[in-house]
Amino acid sequence: MLVTCTAAAIWLSAGSGVQAQTIRCGMNNGQKATGVPINIGGIVSKTGPDDFSASAGAAEAYFKCVNQNGGINGRPINYSVGDDRWNPETATQLRAKLVDDQKVVAMVGSSSFAECAANAKAYEASNVVVIAGVGVPRECFTSKNYAPLNAGPRLSTVAAAQHLNERDGAKSFVCISLNIPNFGAWACDGIDVWAKANGLKSTTILIDPGSSDANSTILQAAALKPDAIVFCLSKSVIVSLLVAAEQQGIVDKIKFGSGAAAYASDLPAAIGPAWNKKFLTNMEFQAIDSTAPDNKNWLAIMDKYADASVSRDTFSQGGYLAARLATETLLKLDPAKIDRDTVSDALRKVSKFESDILCTSWYFGADAARHNANSVLRTSIVDENAWKVVSPCTKVVDPELADIRAYEQKSGMDR
Amino acid sequence: MLLSFIVSGLGVGAVYALSGVGLVVLYRATGVLNFAFGATGALGAFCAHTVATAGYPVVAAWMTALVVATASSYFYGRVIAPSLSTRDLVVRAVGTLGFALILLGFIGWAWGDTPRRLSLPTDGIYFDLFGTRLTMTRILALALVFGMVAGINFMLSRTRLGLEMRSLADNRGLSAILGIRVVSVEASAWIISGISAGICGVLLANLVRLQGLQLTFLVIPAIAAAILGGLSSLVATAAAGVAIGIVEACLSIWPAVAPYRTATPFVVALIAVAVMGATANRRILTR
Repeated sequence: MLVTCTAAAIWLSAGSGVQAQTIRCGMNNGQKATGVPINIGGIVSKTGPDDFSASAGAAEAYFKCVNQNGGINGRPINYSVGDDRWNPETATQLRAKLVDDQKVVAMVGSSSFAECAANAKAYEASNVVVIAGVGVPRECFTSKNYAPLNAGPRLSTVAAAQHLNERDGAKSFVCISLNIPNFGAWACDGIDVWAKANGLKSTTILIDPGSSDANSTILQAAALKPDAIVFCLSKSVIVSLLVAAEQQGIVDKIKFGSGAAAYASDLPAAIGPAWNKKFLTNMEFQAIDSTAPDNKNWLAIMDKYADASVSRDTFSQGGYLAARLATETLLKLDPAKIDRDTVSDALRKVSKFESDILCTSWYFGADAARHNANSVLRTSIVDENAWKVVSPCTKVVDPELADIRAYEQKSGMDR
Repeated sequence: MLLSFIVSGLGVGAVYALSGVGLVVLYRATGVLNFAFGATGALGAFCAHTVATAGYPVVAAWMTALVVATASSYFYGRVIAPSLSTRDLVVRAVGTLGFALILLGFIGWAWGDTPRRLSLPTDGIYFDLFGTRLTMTRILALALVFGMVAGINFMLSRTRLGLEMRSLADNRGLSAILGIRVVSVEASAWIISGISAGICGVLLANLVRLQGLQLTFLVIPAIAAAILGGLSSLVATAAAGVAIGIVEACLSIWPAVAPYRTATPFVVALIAVAVMGATANRRILTR
């Protein structure tokens, strides 16, 4: 009997050891957390022109894993996510509900188009730190309490232009983006400023998100006779512009690139074989199909804890990283003293969060006025209905990053 | 340069025209301004894409689009529209808006937001005109405008069904008393509208993009064309649709205005309503 039980115990331990190797989250002890819940919130733009919810979907999966593996020293995470429907007023209401009513200790895994501008000041006033999976408009990267894991559309678009310049010798650019305040013009301004600083030429074309005439937009861009056209658009608009470019016969006449929004596994097949090795995109994170350990862990957690409808995409990677960062930070705190002030303080002190999903370590920047730590990025190109990474991690050179670079240098960070 | 944008605008303008004609035919027969026209076409287009990517011939994809769009349109016209037939114009129009939102929600649930491309064999055939390529797909759309306007005008003026539709448009109650099968005639109008939506859905999915939200609300430029046609003249509606497409394309030339050119249908419709309203008032005053 004793031998049988011992054998069973050894087998069970070996089993949980195997599980701990394939999926890593939180305390990894296979024990369900049953203590006093820790409230954490997230806000996403799901219902509307595009669905950004994969970030919170991944964060939720990670937190579920954490709760199944000991929680935060025995305390489970109670993760509440709201959909702001791309509406700033709804975003404000959600923030009030999560911060004032549910008294969340932090916001993690957010990815919203509307909430940065709507809520940034309120987060500062409430001493709530936001570790967003993905930030999109300018306010997400210029607010004191808001720190996204991604690079942002401006850096991503500039990086695409830089790659086209370095790889293909492009010297004149047209940047096409959306006429949304603090998004399109801001992102394309990155190429403009970088181009001027390097003796190159750049023009911006802003289009309405609902524009139905991709053909005229492409004609407008091509009429400027650029060496390269760079997009900072949603993937569905990118597809329509590339189709128009193909129909106008300019695939081989002009180079095409995009910020990270184009990096979706289904896009190469959608645009067709004419774009094989001709359309490149910047990537804010690791290749989705990478076999690097943390990337594999992300995919494994998604497979086990996330609904199949949650996209396994770059937004999801951002949400996973945000949740992992928050968990590891909370685990260092005394579980009896986890409150908003201690959590905010601890998150601000994050200085070297490592993951192979990122090119370099991520930091918050406690005394920085704004946060944009992810600024070393990779590039991929369409190759046989898939993406192929074609550049190593490369530092983005955007003159607007001067304050960030100065902070990194002062803090002794190697970028 | 202006000429190349005029050519560019012809394609999308042709589909606005087709959509507008489909809306006017239905309005003339039933008094319903069909906000679900775009969504019905979108549903057809997504089904066509699914059939095409499954490896079936293009003809099968087209037929699928027509059948699905017609069936949805007929369903609304036969099941829901009659219960609203005695309500005022606004209520009947809003009913179709509700149907549009249901279809839009279904499309989002069934197909998600995966980027898709609906290619047609005619995309690869093109002519160079004033520095831009005019694909056979765009020429097909233009040809369909002429064909549809001519065909529907013939049907309305030379067939019994057309006579019954015109009678219904003039006075529904009196038409019923005279023995016209009102429900049957209205159903025919919804079927014609559905066929038109199916054709427009596939063409717009090719020329614009295969995305539910985008295709659903492309009914707005079609309504603008229909308003310019006075919600009665098919020829004027078709011409207006093409004109809206061309103006929208040509505004790309001026950088200050280009980002806002999607407002073209609204601005055109507003001007048309203002002018038509002022003209009508003047006619009343001078009687």
